[in-house]
Amino acid sequence: MAELVADPRGTAGPRFRLPGLKNGKLASLAFLAPGAIWLLALVIYPIIATARYSLLNESATKFVGLDNYKAIFSTAAILTTFRNNAIWVIVFPFMVTVIGLIMAVLTERIRWSTAFKAVIVMPVVFSATTSALIFRTIFDIDPHVGAVNALIQTVGDWVHSPGAYPTSTTGQPVSALVASGVKVSGGGLISTGTVRSGQAVQLGMIGISPDTLALLHARPAARPAASSGAVNGVVWRDFSISHPSARGRIFSDEDGLPDLRISLVSASGASVSSATTNSRGQFTLATPKGGGPYRVSIDASNFSNPATGPVWLGTGSLTPTSGLSGTAQALLSVPLIDLAMIIAYLWMWSGFAMIIIGAGLAALNPEVLEAARTEGAREWQVFRRITVPMLSPVLIVVFVTMVINVLKVFDIILNMAPGSSQAGASTLALEMYNEGFSGGIHSGLSSAIAVILFLLVVPAMLFNLRRLRQ
Amino acid sequence: MSSRMSRVTALVAGVGSLAAVAAGTAGTVGVAAATNAHAAKIGGSVSIWAEWTGAEQTQFEAVLKPFEKSTGITVNYAGKGSGTMDTALETAVKGGSPPDVALVPDPGTLDTLAKQHAIKPLGPVIGSESKNYAPAWNKLASVGGKLYGVWFKGANKNTVFYNPALFKAAGIKSPPTTWQQMITDATALRAAGTTPVSLCTDVGWPVADMWQNLYLKINGANDYNALAAHKISWESSTVTKTFDAMNQLVGQSSDLLGGTQGALASTYPECVDKVFPRAGSQPQAAMVIEADFVTTEILANSKKYHAGTTGKGGAACTTDVSKTPCYDLFAFPYPKGDQRNSAAIQGAGDVGMLLNSTPQAKALIKYLAAPQSAAIWAKLGGFASPNNKVPLSDYPDTVSQADAKQLVHAKAFVFSLDDLQGSWEKDLWNDMLADVKTPTAATVKSLQKTMQKQATQALGH
Repeated sequence: MAELVADPRGTAGPRFRLPGLKNGKLASLAFLAPGAIWLLALVIYPIIATARYSLLNESATKFVGLDNYKAIFSTAAILTTFRNNAIWVIVFPFMVTVIGLIMAVLTERIRWSTAFKAVIVMPVVFSATTSALIFRTIFDIDPHVGAVNALIQTVGDWVHSPGAYPTSTTGQPVSALVASGVKVSGGGLISTGTVRSGQAVQLGMIGISPDTLALLHARPAARPAASSGAVNGVVWRDFSISHPSARGRIFSDEDGLPDLRISLVSASGASVSSATTNSRGQFTLATPKGGGPYRVSIDASNFSNPATGPVWLGTGSLTPTSGLSGTAQALLSVPLIDLAMIIAYLWMWSGFAMIIIGAGLAALNPEVLEAARTEGAREWQVFRRITVPMLSPVLIVVFVTMVINVLKVFDIILNMAPGSSQAGASTLALEMYNEGFSGGIHSGLSSAIAVILFLLVVPAMLFNLRRLRQ
Repeated sequence: MSSRMSRVTALVAGVGSLAAVAAGTAGTVGVAAATNAHAAKIGGSVSIWAEWTGAEQTQFEAVLKPFEKSTGITVNYAGKGSGTMDTALETAVKGGSPPDVALVPDPGTLDTLAKQHAIKPLGPVIGSESKNYAPAWNKLASVGGKLYGVWFKGANKNTVFYNPALFKAAGIKSPPTTWQQMITDATALRAAGTTPVSLCTDVGWPVADMWQNLYLKINGANDYNALAAHKISWESSTVTKTFDAMNQLVGQSSDLLGGTQGALASTYPECVDKVFPRAGSQPQAAMVIEADFVTTEILANSKKYHAGTTGKGGAACTTDVSKTPCYDLFAFPYPKGDQRNSAAIQGAGDVGMLLNSTPQAKALIKYLAAPQSAAIWAKLGGFASPNNKVPLSDYPDTVSQADAKQLVHAKAFVFSLDDLQGSWEKDLWNDMLADVKTPTAATVKSLQKTMQKQATQALGH
């Protein structure tokens, strides 16, 4: 600023000159004033006011000393936000710098690199809210909605196919399926009574939704006649709208259960024969004539569930924390949702990191790299020993900028974390907003959080400023 | 804080008298009176703030339109958003530039502003229109014996919404009236392969709503208000009984969609969508326990949803949303064999206040107190008025009629207890979620101890 007004020819200076003020000091003050007032009113004053509010009570009417600060460090819910900020600061800046570096180096070597860069940078122009909503959908627990869990389910089902009646459909255990003539046995069901060759059985199940049956094209159940040299039977949905609590009798509005894998087991537990039920729920199991006694088993594989992905946006933790106190949990758990949100944030910011690092890369002296290659250094060695060290000033600026960025991370959490997980995923900035503006107004507590956040950001900021000056 | 408490106490009893009046009044009376009141063209403009944005803003603007037309006054409405309305208003009052008229969702704000003399007494302004509200409502809008507000909109939390097609498929002929019957019906639903409840948990407020309903039904409005004011300890047996009843439902993990873990990951309004999905999805659970504002979400999912137990044109209700889906509500169930508190209702409302007594502002507040303003919104749906002159036939369907009827037949009306807890409201929500997470007697015992500590710390007694 000073250099700007120190005009060597003094064309403008004299007009503003007053006695006692040499070299146009008043002029420089006049030029400085708008900026200074702006700075005072919108930066300095709010900082001081916030610090003052942090020492006052909820309605800013009484001086309470450091009570608000004490409250911050004794409330588990607020300690949680410190932990989350720590997780963000430890994981995010490092990862985004590494990913940015890798992409910057790789894009230098490909054709159409500008187009590729444009695509990678695109998320930067989206608002954080948009990105948060995109990733909230991507990480949805329901594989029909969430792409990640859809992938996990597809791969999982390919490895191990689920049964026709997965218990996850209604979230009930196999025991909830027992209606009449069956009991739970080894993850599946087995007939309560024994049966001999030439006899017929009926096995009733409940807890199966009409939708499942419609999907399997079930038809009304009917008890098959007995035939010699076989055990005949029916497995049916033992629930009638007309007789909701009657069990063990086949009503005309009750459907058979198709596609069940049934086997006949001897008293020793050996499988004698097996079959699959038809659309009326009927089956025929061949037996040696006069054989028995047997039991009819409905295999556990009928009820096995499709593969499910984790509840990404729930309250689950990567570290085992059950049995710990509230405070210990607040400090030690690493919520899965933090990971999901960090991935979303990486998607948002890697492009930015790539551009900055790419610019640094372009400014490197190509002769040094060339010389190294001529000396016989392999590409990896060039990267490790030459590129990274020479880029380190840029890498550090990106790193520190991202530290500041995630210290105040806010909008992605507000928009990506479902309500029930929000408390566990909250950060200082979000907590500051929640305490201060959402619901009740706790200006003291909120201001105290703001002051702490400010103190945390200041060192990183000063470091960056010093770097830039160099 | 204590002033807010006494305000709530005032609402107990007396709303019941609304019933007879509301049932017998024809809409024409109000319209005639209003036409006279605004016959003179006043002109000028008036500013009004309320929490309503989006669709509700459009509906409220429709309410304001006839007023603008008949008086020539330009109304400048600003929707401040739910959760921030009170903050915005109190800040504006402090800053010296409040709107002329404001509607707030919290009787506590009315109390605060009246004591600051920031709002004007309404007695001389609205005159006989104050008789449109039962004494209980007026008492709730009064400070020091003077009326300061009109309860323009009411909200009813005494509701459980269910998908009639799924109830029918489980052989349930009529919705439950008692809590125990609801648990029994849940067993029938499970037998039919339907998950009984899509539990709304979100940040905890929906669970708190359910808990508060249960507390009210089990212990009555007097105890409810005493607990809200923390004159009853959180370690009292009334609290234990309420948690025990709630755990009969949340303790049965298979009663909840997605089990306990799934329930804890649910958000509002997604929990409503699981029972009343959009076209293309099947309902995954039969009931959702939340307030009357659920209706808005259901109808946003599909216009095909028909109120009541039959689909459009009398067709049978279907689970397929593209055919004839239905929605219906039943009153929050009371404990078996104890009907004393079956007509005690938990709810909320928006109270209109006068901040600047310009002629335009006075005309507007009088208009809001008159029945024809509320009747306009009643016809548009998603609205229930505490105004007993609004005829029930003005509500568009059986569900909104049942909703409004509950409000006017209420023997006691209480506000949401969590909203009255000041700084520990969010702790209370977390405590509710903690019980859903591990619904055991041991949890209840330790939670009660924690809650007592939190309440004492936050409320100072």
